[in-house]
Amino acid sequence: MLAEGALVQRLSDLVGPAHVVAGSGASPYVVDGKAPQAVVSPGSVEEVSAVMAFASAEGMKVVPWGNGTKMALGGIPERVDLVLVLSRLKGVVDYEPADVTATFRAGSLLKEAQAVLGGHRQFIGLDPPHADLATLGGILATNSSGPRRLRYGASRDLVIAIRVVDAAGKVTKGGAKVVKNVTGYDMNKLYIGSLGTLGIIVEATFRLHPLPAVEQTLLASFVSVNETREAVARILDSPVVPSALELLNPVAARRVAEQAAVPWSKESYGLAVAIGSVRPEAVDAQLQTVKRLCHETGSPEEHVLDGRLHDAFWRATRDFALDDGLTAVLKASVLVTKVAEAVRVGEEVAAKQGLALGVVCEAGSGIIRYHLTGAAISPERFQQGVAEVVNRLRAFAQGAEGNLVVLKAPTELKSRVDVWGLPEKALPFMRRPKAEFDPQRILNPGRFVGGI
Amino acid sequence: MDKERIARELTGIVGNDGIVVDPGELRVYEADGLTVFKAMPEIVVLPRSTEQVAGVVKVCHREKIPFVARGAGTGLSGGALPIEGGILIGMNRMNRILETDYENQRAVVEPGMVNVWLTNALSPRGYYYSPDPASQTACSIGGNVGENSGGPRTPKYGVTTNHVLGLEVVLPNGEIVKFGGKTLDPLGYDLTGIYVGSEGTFGITTKVTVRIMRKPEAVKTLMGVFESIEDASNSVSAIMARGIVPVAIEMMDNNSIQAVEKGVAAGYPLDAVAVLLAEVDGPKDEVEALVDPIIEVFKENHVREVRVARDENERLLLWKGRKAAFAAMGQISPEYYVQDSVIPLTKLPSIMKFIGELSERCGLRVANVFHAGDGNLHPLVLYNSANEGELHKAEAMGAEIIKACIDMGGSLTGEHGIGLEKRDFMPLMYNEDDLAAMQKVKKVFDPDGLLNPGKIFPAAKPGGQVGPAGQREMLDKVHGRV
Repeated sequence: MLAEGALVQRLSDLVGPAHVVAGSGASPYVVDGKAPQAVVSPGSVEEVSAVMAFASAEGMKVVPWGNGTKMALGGIPERVDLVLVLSRLKGVVDYEPADVTATFRAGSLLKEAQAVLGGHRQFIGLDPPHADLATLGGILATNSSGPRRLRYGASRDLVIAIRVVDAAGKVTKGGAKVVKNVTGYDMNKLYIGSLGTLGIIVEATFRLHPLPAVEQTLLASFVSVNETREAVARILDSPVVPSALELLNPVAARRVAEQAAVPWSKESYGLAVAIGSVRPEAVDAQLQTVKRLCHETGSPEEHVLDGRLHDAFWRATRDFALDDGLTAVLKASVLVTKVAEAVRVGEEVAAKQGLALGVVCEAGSGIIRYHLTGAAISPERFQQGVAEVVNRLRAFAQGAEGNLVVLKAPTELKSRVDVWGLPEKALPFMRRPKAEFDPQRILNPGRFVGGI
Repeated sequence: MDKERIARELTGIVGNDGIVVDPGELRVYEADGLTVFKAMPEIVVLPRSTEQVAGVVKVCHREKIPFVARGAGTGLSGGALPIEGGILIGMNRMNRILETDYENQRAVVEPGMVNVWLTNALSPRGYYYSPDPASQTACSIGGNVGENSGGPRTPKYGVTTNHVLGLEVVLPNGEIVKFGGKTLDPLGYDLTGIYVGSEGTFGITTKVTVRIMRKPEAVKTLMGVFESIEDASNSVSAIMARGIVPVAIEMMDNNSIQAVEKGVAAGYPLDAVAVLLAEVDGPKDEVEALVDPIIEVFKENHVREVRVARDENERLLLWKGRKAAFAAMGQISPEYYVQDSVIPLTKLPSIMKFIGELSERCGLRVANVFHAGDGNLHPLVLYNSANEGELHKAEAMGAEIIKACIDMGGSLTGEHGIGLEKRDFMPLMYNEDDLAAMQKVKKVFDPDGLLNPGKIFPAAKPGGQVGPAGQREMLDKVHGRV
């Protein structure tokens, strides 16, 4: 193992002394309590490659880092020797609006990319949590998505080409910068959601969508969560094409209503349906249908949001967080028909553990985010409670043909429960890509499913 | 292989009616849709269940016999071409719908199921399966998974990979594994995603979980008739630039129109230089709002005539011509050789000009009938193999078109796959490191290299050429010209 001084010197040779920090400078880059020996910020793909070649030769474990919004995700890393920060790899590589594709460096913030594309009335159809702070590379590596995946799909549907630096420093590409391509294997899929365990994404090409000329949202509320199941089923079975179909439990609905200053019944389950289109008439007609369906399934009154309120509402929903005291965030994926029940079970289990629970669901996609807090309990009691909630809800999600992942939790909790919960029998095959792509286990060891 | 012993063991697994060993009957399987390549398998097996597939594969694995899976055999790149001396596993008998779950918008089907059967089955409830390759009345869903098949609907709805969420697969060692399922975001690596489009080199698909969708409330199809290819080409990216996402934009040039009109009389004007078919769908009011801007774009690009299909019959007639175009080519040429490379949309005018000039220079006609909305060309080089050297010339022209597309930032295949046909072009697009990364994925699934060997990756030819010249050399070998 290199001494700190020697390590900083070697890294400085690769990326310049201004882009290497060690000692106390590295403290903001602690991952689950483990501080890196050094933090290095390469300024080009070539420099990323050089740093990886160096790390591999030295057997140093590397944690890739975009803007740090999702560093709580994953198991406790085995070791953190180097944090490799990608924030200097920013900006557009190629963008021709009429090709409906654009290539960005991975350290670009999604927000910055959307600003460039917005100038041409286009956008990347991703709206994950922390959309204002998250980098493209981080979003892809964690397969992070938001309400609009109902209409636009997730990263796997939107990325058409990718550039990656592997553990040994080799730079490779996959896909092509055209919207249809079957040349060779679809390598994009391999890296998306792989949490940087197979390679570091340094560049990605997206297929783009036009920004809807008009977008409005209908807010409905329901006394019982069971009613929402019927409302969602009927909307999905109607001619309406929602951009987002979000279900919030009363705790979450109240908080979002306050933050965004929108009228929403504070004691009810809230359903928000976004409709975007090329013309106001097309939005109106669909909103009327949604309104009728919600009314028929039990919503006493509805409100339509547009303009600033609409934007504020979706920002608050997308970035929803409970910040009082100890927190944990779980994400379940279940059958769409099981969403309402998953909310109900979550509330029961959390109440039994004395935890407050805000639930935000992409009801049309079967994605549920449980936000747990314990305001007046000890950390020990909180962890016990959350561990119990995780076990119960994971069993429920698996029964609903899905899974449950701990997105964010205190490090201590991670030694109590498996944050991923990949069934044992799936693990041997899942280890094989890692063994081929990173046999030395340089990249993010311990953080992905099954401790990969 | 000891054919008699192996055949006996395989018969024990699939039964007497599940095995083909007679050379005459085997001939049915000697080629897929790309008939210039032929190879005779030693044995064909036709399993009826996942367990039978696994049983057969275990025998292949134990005996180290190379094997290939085949769906309907409609593939156009030799992906299902058997291996001489190997075993071919025909999947047609596994053709049932196992589950339709309308509320969750999913269906689970067996791989031998014909693509259009699924939509036919879903139709009474107002649902459908979106990917619709031109061969959809014959091709199988398992084959679609292998090729990541496309079709005209890509601009709005994507291709097979966007609609496949889960798989059951028999790995090349006979192990049965499941990837993904009915819910989104399965844990770990996206094995479903990497598997789709692997051209039958990763495993044998035995179940497929797909997304099914509600039929749109309204659909409108427009035909624009143009006096120049350039005007038609310019219209395509102009429609996209307007912020319209059409379901499809298809282009047909005059050679294609001639063939189609002789074949099925779809009503395209015989004197048109090019026609565009544009389709939009969605909620009624939205569809209404999309038609006028498309007509405006057509007019800005000097359209001679615009027809909007007034009813479903007229709409289907417009599409009938497009869907029948490949089959109709026989009306104007005994044979054709088709490529399916892709260009960025803004390069459409330049590539069409290039193809026109190439055709003049080489003296063979080209019919263009293709998915303009996603830049996926289908230049059909028309030839007659009875004329000395014409096939060779057609292939050489195909190679030049591919190279031009890649020089313009495109891709060498949009939906037909690499297969055997285009493997030596791979280095035009991917360098050694890129290909090595793909080879690693192959090793993940098939460490012994027994499944569909020789496909996708360039042939290892020490000192040999790759790219178009190498391609010609390979084709020459296949045709016994060297």
